[in-house]
Amino acid sequence: MVGGVVALGKDGPAEAVGRGIEPYGVHQPGIAAASPRHAELVAFNLRHGVDKAALGRLMRLWTGDIVALANGRAAPGDTAPELVIGNVALTTTVGFGPRVFELTGEKPPGLDDLPVMKRDRLAPAWSGGDLLIMVGADDPVSVVHAVRRLVADAKPFATPTWRQTGFWNGTGSDGQPVTGRNLFGQVDGTGNPAVGTPEFDATVWSSDGPDWFRGGTTLVVRRIRLNLDTWDELTRSEQERAIGRKLSTGAPLTGAAEHDELDLEARDADGRPVIAENAHARLSHHSENDGRRIFRKGLNYVQDTGPARESGLIFLSHQADVAAQFLPLLARLDAADALNEWTTSIGSAVFALPPGFQPGTWLAQNLLA
Amino acid sequence: MALALPVLLSSCGSSATTTQEAAVSTPSVLVEDAWVRATTGAEDTTMTAAFMSLTNPGNTDIKLTSAASPVAGLVQLHEMAAKDGKMVMQEKPGGITVPATSHTHLSPGGDHVMLMGLKQALKPGDEVPLTLTFSDNTTHDLTVPVKSFTEEQEHYHPTTK
Repeated sequence: MVGGVVALGKDGPAEAVGRGIEPYGVHQPGIAAASPRHAELVAFNLRHGVDKAALGRLMRLWTGDIVALANGRAAPGDTAPELVIGNVALTTTVGFGPRVFELTGEKPPGLDDLPVMKRDRLAPAWSGGDLLIMVGADDPVSVVHAVRRLVADAKPFATPTWRQTGFWNGTGSDGQPVTGRNLFGQVDGTGNPAVGTPEFDATVWSSDGPDWFRGGTTLVVRRIRLNLDTWDELTRSEQERAIGRKLSTGAPLTGAAEHDELDLEARDADGRPVIAENAHARLSHHSENDGRRIFRKGLNYVQDTGPARESGLIFLSHQADVAAQFLPLLARLDAADALNEWTTSIGSAVFALPPGFQPGTWLAQNLLA
Repeated sequence: MALALPVLLSSCGSSATTTQEAAVSTPSVLVEDAWVRATTGAEDTTMTAAFMSLTNPGNTDIKLTSAASPVAGLVQLHEMAAKDGKMVMQEKPGGITVPATSHTHLSPGGDHVMLMGLKQALKPGDEVPLTLTFSDNTTHDLTVPVKSFTEEQEHYHPTTK
């Protein structure tokens, strides 16, 4: 699916070359792809009077746009087609909020807005939404321009209610893919099931929901403010204790390499657990959550207001079923996660991401046609 | 132009069926990214235009000679031309040329397929059947999405005021 190649120079540093990602597939291709370097998410609310048929018309329009943009062509009717370039790994992912299914029926199981957690400080301006687009690419100009077209084509049907822009570095200095780091400096996303494994498929893709949703997934978007000022007051060992992982490599405090399994039983000379009882890595580990897993992605963000900067993480979680897989984990972390002292959730939204489409078909056709 | 062609040919357009059919019987013209301007909110809702990219992989120039659609009473191929210092829209004599191993873009402000005497309003996301006939005697049956467009439309709907 990913047409990208990384040239591996024998005698020099590896050189990343341009790549395109096919728009077609069983699943929307942006989901299993690595976190994009640059991304924008836009949530929309449907305009009054938009019904199932109108939503179908919008999906046909967006499908045409998505295909053109993925192939490095301007979307039909683009007023500034020169801004479109190819080989920037552009993906567009589309989702439906819970309210859409009041129009269409056939709601995927477990797709409800998350209950407000005790520690949440949710702003309506960062929460909810009937439709989602997430555009990612290697180049921010391409992202912004694609979003501009998709928003323009949605205008007769839906109005943006929030926008979030983020960035991620998933490439190491040697040009090889890496997990990437949040703005606390933590390697973030190590615990994910590996793409292409049966474990990944079972975690992410819906198989027992309505027929139209087979091959779809859900996405939780949480905007999490990070208090970098108080985080920076900690010693490194305090920071590592809060996560249960080493900052240098992301390895568990009980291991040597990033992907070493956590040893949750290990104790230090004083008999205390090496990975603390309230460490993030312990609380979020699937062995501590009845085997429930999620596929975590993230984007760093900064939000500037005059000279003031807020920093944070656009937390993205894919799972086949939000209520069954994500909600218990969220409740557990909200109750006890050591990281809570430096993090605050200020936005929350859930979306069903329809399966992918093939040439001659369009997004969510089996729901809306 | 010729350098960009392999990229265009390898890409798969939204009018995928047409593109694939055309690719088999090269050197006919490939049609990509066709769209029709919505009439919703337009001053004159009886006419609009269709736009698209045409690619000619062959070694001979091919002309788009005519177009037809069941939603329009009359369909013409138009160009924009300077007349008395003003850009006006007029029927393009002989049709629209797609040069050999090159492409032609039908776009707002340039050559376009004019749909007149519309029998119904065209809303964003509607689909319009459109048949194109080329000088090599090939025809393309397209299903073209309707899109809204922000650019002012004076050029395509010249008023007599």
